[in-house]
Amino acid sequence: MKIKQLIEKIEGEAELDFTFEKGKVEDVQINFGFYRGIEEILVGKDPRDALVITPRVCGICNHAHLLAAVRALENGYENAGIKINITHKANDIREFTLACELIQNHIKWFYMTIVPELEKLLKENNSENHALKASYLSSTITKALAIFAGQWPHSSYAVPGGVTCDPTYVDVIQAQSLVDEAIRFFEQMIVGMSFERYLAQDSLNSLHKIGGDFGRVLQLMGINEMSQMGYSYDRFIVFGTCMFSKPGKSMATTVSNVDVRYVEENTQSMSMAKAVSYKQKLYEVGPLARAMVAKEPLIKSLHKRYKDSLMTRVFARVHEVALLLDYSKKLLNNLNLNESSCTLEGYPALKEFEGVGVVEAARGSLIHKTTVKEGKISNYEIIVPTQWNLSNGNSQEKGIASKAMIGSTTTQEAEFIFKAFDVCSVCTTQ
Amino acid sequence: MMKPKLLWLQSITCNGNAHSFLNHPDLFSILSHFELLYHPVLDTAYSLKDLNEKTLICDILILEGSFKAQGVKKAGVEVLDVVEYYAKEAKHIITAGTCATFGGIFKAHDPQNISGFCYDEEEQTSRYKKYSSKLISLPGCPIHPKWLSYVLLMLANNKKIPLDIMHRPQELYNITVHTGCSRNEYFEWKVDTKGFGLKEGCLFYEQGCQGPYTRGSCNKILWNDVSSKTIVGTPCFGCTEPTFPKTALFSTKTNMGIPAYMPLGIPRRAYLTATGIAKSFKIKRFEERIIKYEN
Repeated sequence: MKIKQLIEKIEGEAELDFTFEKGKVEDVQINFGFYRGIEEILVGKDPRDALVITPRVCGICNHAHLLAAVRALENGYENAGIKINITHKANDIREFTLACELIQNHIKWFYMTIVPELEKLLKENNSENHALKASYLSSTITKALAIFAGQWPHSSYAVPGGVTCDPTYVDVIQAQSLVDEAIRFFEQMIVGMSFERYLAQDSLNSLHKIGGDFGRVLQLMGINEMSQMGYSYDRFIVFGTCMFSKPGKSMATTVSNVDVRYVEENTQSMSMAKAVSYKQKLYEVGPLARAMVAKEPLIKSLHKRYKDSLMTRVFARVHEVALLLDYSKKLLNNLNLNESSCTLEGYPALKEFEGVGVVEAARGSLIHKTTVKEGKISNYEIIVPTQWNLSNGNSQEKGIASKAMIGSTTTQEAEFIFKAFDVCSVCTTQ
Repeated sequence: MMKPKLLWLQSITCNGNAHSFLNHPDLFSILSHFELLYHPVLDTAYSLKDLNEKTLICDILILEGSFKAQGVKKAGVEVLDVVEYYAKEAKHIITAGTCATFGGIFKAHDPQNISGFCYDEEEQTSRYKKYSSKLISLPGCPIHPKWLSYVLLMLANNKKIPLDIMHRPQELYNITVHTGCSRNEYFEWKVDTKGFGLKEGCLFYEQGCQGPYTRGSCNKILWNDVSSKTIVGTPCFGCTEPTFPKTALFSTKTNMGIPAYMPLGIPRRAYLTATGIAKSFKIKRFEERIIKYEN
């Protein structure tokens, strides 16, 4: 039996084409509709225009695109022999604003997708306005981001050699207060315990103590055996060198090195999205991948019992909010405003270069590749995280999310597993 | 009293306007004045499929994204076809963002066929005549949440919004991004910034800042309530203008060393005279750092 399902409000839409066999999902094709051609729009433009154009790939992860674009330029300059030395200050400000964007994203996903969808799926009705919580925390943290980046969405404050802002301690203190407010919200609304106590957990034995909205979600997922569904290949990959994570791939219990040169993009029939693989193998990217590669103790403990289940995947993304808040606080505490914001003076008159920029965006590794000839962009490639998770796979294997949906007994359940990957339609089809 | 019915529809977009509006600190109190039929991110009573049935009617239609006559389908139906149905019945149409207003960034992929709803850059589209009587243009990439809330609440209170010739609210667009910029003193005295990453100096002469000739209140109604591009040393890229995006956005186009585009409404001769006088003085304060931190 075939069933077509339109999935809405996932930063655009997607269509899932299910094949049911004996009451279970046997196969599912994920199709994304419209292609906007951002890569082609960039051809012929000044290389730095990518800092303005590429954030417009996505309204929710635009800042990650900016940072991938600036790193691609910096990498290109370095390949052409120009040394780029970014100060700690500039680097930490970039890390901070990126962390803010990730927090904003995860919180919207939690309160505007996971909580309401779980309630709908389990018919656990609740009259609370979850979106109000999402918008409170996301607008608080994007305000902290904007203190340095000028605005969110669509800032272009990262330039080769650093950042354009030159903050004062008035700015830093204001940003710290906003991070503290976000932490207070996390304590009171999300986990119902102190931040320190939450962060001190290192094994799943203490998880029943988590309260708040996250505690409620964990309880509902536990009762409904969501720790035993949504399994994929248990293979993870990370390319970004930033944050609390490092590059590498995780399979079974081993973590090994990766090289972005082995990433391969392929077109797919029926969908405007391209599939991505690493040495012909599919990998999951995102918060769970980052935690697995970085061997984050709490997630490792959860994974040991529940593997790459729906429960583990949801947990990893919410848990990352705590890690990001903690990280943000440290970054701001250590800022030395006496350092320069941008170390590259003027604009190097380079006519030809090639550069790659990698960023750990909310949904996983984001890769930008720029090729410049005669002073203009001659080719630009964007590989987004959702291309890893949401492709339809290759001749040997089904895609990561497709695999996770197989075995579901209803389309609603499969849809929830799908959305737990934090789907972004606009990114997937730039 | 019946609340006005509000409908938010998308075409070719990045979702940036929807997310920008979610930053509004009073989001839900604003939305409480309306019955929200559909929104691309917020939970609503109706789905895209319901909208495609064309049985509903909205009072205020918000459009996000640029338009193409054919080939942009949602739930199997051409978006423009659905949008025009609701546009005919709506009392007000708000084009939210530069894409919906003028075509914006995505226009560049197929310039012959992609445009804004009522404008194709500065030209009127064939739809202009049909809808101009109820059109409100809110360009900006993305829109500022408070620009949209101002328009929505004025409409909810049956107040008339003074518009300019391109249907932009005068109260938001009759000033330039330069108005209120924290670097104004440097502009007055023609002191260039010495590079990116400094709070001192003006970005108009070298760094490509389009603030003096771009309409918008970015430096009057701050972004995320705290800042703006030019405050943090990023040039204004003219994102509210029909010409957005131009090219070589980080450098100022010049003719014989003089900026090619003049501040809005300023004759070249007036600009050159004022510049000549300002430049003949060296103001010590503007050559120094504002704050000196000790190591």
